[in-house]
Amino acid sequence: MLFSSISFLYYFLPILLFCYFIVHNKYKNIVLLIFSLLFYFYGEQIHIWILLLSIIMNYLFGIWLEKSNHKKKILAFSIISNVGILMYFKYINFFITNINTIFHTNIGLLKVIMPIGISFFTFQTLSYVIDVYKGEVKANHHFFDFATYVCLFPQLVAGPIVRYKDIAQELKERKHSISNFSLGISRFIIGLAKKVLIANVIGELSSILLGISNDSILGYWVIAISYTLQIYFDFSGYSDMAIGLGNMFGFHFLENFNYPLWASSITDFWRRWHISLSSWFRDYIYIPLGGNRVSTIKWIRNIFIVWLLTGFWHGAAWNFIIWGLFFALLLLLEKKIWGNFLKKHKIVGHIYTILLVLISFVIFSVNSLNEGIIFMKHLFGFTHLPLLTSEVIYYIRSYGVLLIISMIASTPLLPNIIKILKQKKGIKSMINGLEIIYYVILLLLVTSFLIDSSFNPFLYFRF
Amino acid sequence: MKDKIIIILFLIIIYGFFLLNIVIKDNDLSIEERRHLKEFPSISMNSILNGDFMDEFEDYTLDQFPFRNMFRSIKANSEYKIFHKLDNNNIFIENNKIFKIEYPLNEKNVIRFTEKVDYIIDNYLDGMNIYYAIIPDKNYYLENDKYLKMDYNKLYEIIKDKLSNLEYIELRDLLSLDSYYDTDTHWKQEELIEVASRLEKEMVGIVSNHEYQEKKYEPFYGVYYGQAALGGKGEVLTYFTNDTISNAYVENISSSFHKIYKLEELGGMDSYNMFLSGSTPIIRIENKNQNNERELFIFRDSFASSLTPLLLEQYSNITLIDLRYISASKLNDVVDFKKGDVLFLYSTMIINQSVMLKD
Repeated sequence: MLFSSISFLYYFLPILLFCYFIVHNKYKNIVLLIFSLLFYFYGEQIHIWILLLSIIMNYLFGIWLEKSNHKKKILAFSIISNVGILMYFKYINFFITNINTIFHTNIGLLKVIMPIGISFFTFQTLSYVIDVYKGEVKANHHFFDFATYVCLFPQLVAGPIVRYKDIAQELKERKHSISNFSLGISRFIIGLAKKVLIANVIGELSSILLGISNDSILGYWVIAISYTLQIYFDFSGYSDMAIGLGNMFGFHFLENFNYPLWASSITDFWRRWHISLSSWFRDYIYIPLGGNRVSTIKWIRNIFIVWLLTGFWHGAAWNFIIWGLFFALLLLLEKKIWGNFLKKHKIVGHIYTILLVLISFVIFSVNSLNEGIIFMKHLFGFTHLPLLTSEVIYYIRSYGVLLIISMIASTPLLPNIIKILKQKKGIKSMINGLEIIYYVILLLLVTSFLIDSSFNPFLYFRF
Repeated sequence: MKDKIIIILFLIIIYGFFLLNIVIKDNDLSIEERRHLKEFPSISMNSILNGDFMDEFEDYTLDQFPFRNMFRSIKANSEYKIFHKLDNNNIFIENNKIFKIEYPLNEKNVIRFTEKVDYIIDNYLDGMNIYYAIIPDKNYYLENDKYLKMDYNKLYEIIKDKLSNLEYIELRDLLSLDSYYDTDTHWKQEELIEVASRLEKEMVGIVSNHEYQEKKYEPFYGVYYGQAALGGKGEVLTYFTNDTISNAYVENISSSFHKIYKLEELGGMDSYNMFLSGSTPIIRIENKNQNNERELFIFRDSFASSLTPLLLEQYSNITLIDLRYISASKLNDVVDFKKGDVLFLYSTMIINQSVMLKD
């Protein structure tokens, strides 16, 4: 089920809210668990067994890790089991294809369907067993509470990656307040609007431009910009919805995005983009490998390992690996060569970052390496395409306002203006009133866009 | 206070529509969108386990949402007025007329169309008088270059080149934007007298006096009206009648209705279907007032439905063949091609999407 669907907004959510708030506190987790499983089953049906297996497995690993004297062996076994499941369902055919290519073998591909959200819940359960192993958190002995954590529907299928230690206390006991619930509603609606009103429509633009017959250089730049904005608003919109829903049910998930397209370097970009994933890799891969407190050679190795895995996490294809390594190289160069220059020249830094991020999302979005190379050639005018065509002009005019709105919305400009205005007494109450109207209009607009459109899955579901 | 108001309004909206979804009776069809709406899917263990139920339920929730048309209208208005998009779902408005983007020109389809015409001539039309005319869609007459338009010159060029052995009858100079309905793709019958006269002149050599009684129906909502979802006034559908039209006997391969105008269609899903009962593979019209045994065969699309009654005067029989609904290879089974005139009369839209025409 998608958050941005009529079935979620006007069937699932009202029934869940009713059931959740009518039961006593001690049954709230059970209600959330049942509805989360229904939410997952609605989209994945029979493949729910993989999620159930992951819950049972990691619940037992947690308890064994706490009690056993062979913690290392159990940890190794649990990591192998979790990663093994992920490898099989997400990567097996990638490996088979590459083995066939390299060794000229003819191993048949397996009919494996990747369960939605497997990368997210696997990383959550891995963080749980590792934290239990390190003694940073106690194992959860309440099976239903643990199961609620793993399959909590707001973040189950597209993140953010919520670590057990961050919500362990709230799983046991959490407060529900009017202010938190209201905050959740507004955050949820903003996320919904980002997804439905911006990401989906901009995605439409890139699809149209990719499909037109009269290619042009400017057209490819618009596609690259559209890809970047679409991925940002799609994913950050989903994170907003997850955080907002979490608030409505008394949870506080950590932020996942902080205006990444406003970053002034690639290092800064990755402090702001998919924060839960980059911090996961930092804490569970980079630091255990020695981080930067090792020799330069090992440090470079660590950087490349982390970014190779980051790329690979996003998809079982070479373009994702190259996408990750592209960032590894840029981060190294910033650290060693031009990082300080970028710190001193913010405007250059913004332009530099946006340009490289655009290129990175082209690598991210293409279906094959070859397609990526051709795209780059078009982008930089190596294929004798005209600068622009009447078709591209039409679509730029048609989607221009939305592109400008989305570019502004990807910066902290408006929130900062509102923050400043709110400090003035008379204006604050007016803004509060306008905010209420704004949320109602957004919700109704989203509903109208959903009704007029067909089914539209989130981009990040494939991860 | 602000928090409480946000919560109350949110709950009113989601519970309000939740309850309305349950209480309001489902609609079978949407006249505005000219289609049947999804019904609540049947539930079975199988359909739940393989996900069919969920997929169908998603469609159902979209189709049966309360005030669906109002929401579609909100979406369309916001696209035009907030986001300043030039089109919404390929529909655009210019001077209160609704258009659909017909773009780009598909040269392969245009060539395929000419090949289809050649095939029919080679197989069925030996010794007959063959003509062709192309009906420009209304985007052809758009004066500004703001919107995407197919390359009409190229389309005409290709066809004239490929069908150079046939008699071509030019229609473009006889039409203008006002010849088409504001809310529909089709031309207006009351604007077609000059078209009918030229076709008669070229094919028969005689021009009828075209005296008719005018009948009107309103409000007529064309096919684009529902797609545009902007509401607004309907327009007038005018149809001509006289003795010849009233007395004509229509034999429709897929209907037992025998009149030229099927008035029951007015106000239905597509009021334009009142002309010769809408889509059908073969129609044969017998003119009871004419015994010159002159016969006309028209290979056509829906534009011909409103034009044909105006061509009736000079022919004893007119047969209309719509290759979208019958294979070209099976025509011998249902049509008796004997001596007579043949007119290939197709709109640019169908020519550009000629894959619709069956082999």
